Amino acid sequence: MSEEQSPRDAEADAHAARNDTDRPRGGWRGRWVWPVVIAALAVLGVLLALANIALNSPWLGPLSEAVVGPAVIASPLHNRLPGSDRFERTRPIQSFAFRSPFRPIGLISPLQGLRALLTNGAALILVALAVLIVFPDRARGAVERLEDRRGPEIALVAGVATLLLTLAALLLLRFTLIFLVLIPVLIAIALAVAIFGIACIALAFGRLMQHRLGLGATHPLVASLAGALIVFDLAVIPYAGLVALAALAVAGLGIAVVTRFGSETGWSFAGLKW
Amino acid sequence: MSEMRPGRPLTCARVRVLMEAYVDGDLAAADSSMAESVRTHVSTCDDCRRQHDQAVSLPYRLKALRSPIPPAALVQGVMDAIRPTRTASRRAWALLVPEGLLVAFIVWYLSGLDGLASAASGTVTDLQVLLNWGVGGADLPSVPVADVFLLIALIALAITAAYHLAVLSRLGDRTDSAQQSFRGHRRT
Repeated sequence: MSEEQSPRDAEADAHAARNDTDRPRGGWRGRWVWPVVIAALAVLGVLLALANIALNSPWLGPLSEAVVGPAVIASPLHNRLPGSDRFERTRPIQSFAFRSPFRPIGLISPLQGLRALLTNGAALILVALAVLIVFPDRARGAVERLEDRRGPEIALVAGVATLLLTLAALLLLRFTLIFLVLIPVLIAIALAVAIFGIACIALAFGRLMQHRLGLGATHPLVASLAGALIVFDLAVIPYAGLVALAALAVAGLGIAVVTRFGSETGWSFAGLKW
Repeated sequence: MSEMRPGRPLTCARVRVLMEAYVDGDLAAADSSMAESVRTHVSTCDDCRRQHDQAVSLPYRLKALRSPIPPAALVQGVMDAIRPTRTASRRAWALLVPEGLLVAFIVWYLSGLDGLASAASGTVTDLQVLLNWGVGGADLPSVPVADVFLLIALIALAITAAYHLAVLSRLGDRTDSAQQSFRGHRRT
């Protein structure tokens, strides 16, 4: 180890070397591999969202719709006043509309799946990238913990414990008057922590795919973009998507709490001992 | 160290006795004239110069270091570093049982999910009333009547979950520290 190299850099080199050795020989390399993979994940997401809309996942109805958007396209034109369709921009969508082959819901359009990607999917990607740009070191700490041998299960169990702790705290605050105003603050903090965790999980997914498929080296944000698309694809799986998204949010909450928001030192009360 | 007159020539035997202190710099700090005498002797005596070159070489100095005596609790420390991980891992899963029981009790006590939903809606209503009170548009909301059993169950759930998180945090830290110490050991 050279004198200029910090222990953390050395650790990163060792990690990279280990990943290089883990990488299967003859992986997919090339300039267009990452764009192709990202495009494939996006197309898969659109198709899954469309399947989700067409199946109209009955047992999670409104919640499922929150993930993929409205199932049925705009109301019929004959209900509108004459001339009110001057600014109508749904005609291209309606021209592709068809009836769901699975359930008797209204007209659906393949473009509704694209809409799900461009709204919820894009928001998820932007939030994940923003978190990684603002907190790169903390995200790295959390992702390294996730990549440990038992990282995912620790994250999931810790997420369940955090969720129970939060719910218990919320119900306890309900019985107070002074601290009642803390309830929205607590919910906002829990949501922010879960979003941080989901961003870290997206980066971990991207890195996992990079190493398992032997994809060439790329910018970490590109890997996390692919990882965020994987999260979106999981979230729009018919019937199971919402459950998968909830599990990811819980695991994200857990990994953020266990690592103290990705801190290098973790939880320590040494500062209180003097 | 005894004071010696500066410039006095030293014998080879005396220089070799002082060589270690001279190389370490202790001699110059304690008696600079003696160090100067040793330096003069080393520059003129081939045998002593060879001895000096050998003394300042890194392998020789490393060889001169004594092996550290391992602490008596080394084995016990290693075993302690390994065993709690497994125990804590079991505990991490086992704690889900009391948590699940407490959640089941709370849900049952609140008359199921409907009771939970009404508690949530009551919280939102109270928040709205509190907000209106803040702008002078309403009275303070009344503090809901708390059931002792429910409060005890909620506090027990909070404590159990917090302890669960502490166990999980230590579990992760132990894994990390074990890996780091293993990597450090491999480097050495």
